[in-house]
Amino acid sequence: MKELFPAKQVNGFVFSLLLTVVALSVYFMDMSFELGMTILLITAFIQAGVQLIIFMHAGESKDKSTIYTSLFYSIFIALVTIFGSLLAMVWGYM
Amino acid sequence: MKIDNTQPLEYSTEQNEMNILGFWIFLGAEIMLFATLFTTYFIYADRTGSGPTGADIFEITPVLIETFLLLTSSFTIGLAVNAMRLQRKNATIAFLAVTLLLGAAFLSVEIYEFMHYYHVGAGLQVSAFTGMLLTTLGTHGAHVTFGLFWGLFILMQIKKDGFNPRTANKTFIFSLYWHFLDVMWIFIFSFIYLKGMM
Repeated sequence: MKELFPAKQVNGFVFSLLLTVVALSVYFMDMSFELGMTILLITAFIQAGVQLIIFMHAGESKDKSTIYTSLFYSIFIALVTIFGSLLAMVWGYM
Repeated sequence: MKIDNTQPLEYSTEQNEMNILGFWIFLGAEIMLFATLFTTYFIYADRTGSGPTGADIFEITPVLIETFLLLTSSFTIGLAVNAMRLQRKNATIAFLAVTLLLGAAFLSVEIYEFMHYYHVGAGLQVSAFTGMLLTTLGTHGAHVTFGLFWGLFILMQIKKDGFNPRTANKTFIFSLYWHFLDVMWIFIFSFIYLKGMM
């Protein structure tokens, strides 16, 4: 039974629950928008990392470098699309 | 077909390795799909017109239930892959079934949530904000719905054929897809719901 619940994955699950609770603090506690967004950005990206490395085994095969290259490239394009568009269409007019 | 026994079953043939790599590249494209949805949502988040704002319509309880269900299902699909690597067929099937049940529960809460939005006057065509909100959530929900059927068919194949390079490969790729949906939900939870209710 014990081998069906490896410590690494159980800890990963507990850790992601903890991160969710930390993220929830922005709802239950009174804080500035900037501080809240900083907390959310940090917890969301750590959670995504936990999923990728612990649960998705991103680094286990010999295609590791190809997987990470394609992944970081798409994350880079995603961030440029989101923040570039916000800069051009919202923040630039504030 | 050359089978490499030093690797887990899902990586044991050249074709299997290529399938997994190819699926990672597909997930890269999915990241960009959700990036464009998030971009449009963020730009229009304050364009509520005469309709409700996020703070008016978001409810913390269903959102928390959805988050908990999806996080747990991501954990159980990880356990299913672990059980598969231990060649424990019944445990794999059980974890996969729990994952799909949690996914179905997530979807029911999301359907309730959509009905709630409709009743409080946040339909698809009310404002730029509601339109993009429902499109983004709906795209994620459609992925979960697709995943439920996909997972169900894989469960039936494991039940019938047991573990071989083909079924193991499919199960592993499905687990990648399911974890990815959880990652996207974390971003929806943080940057649509919590940001909207802050």
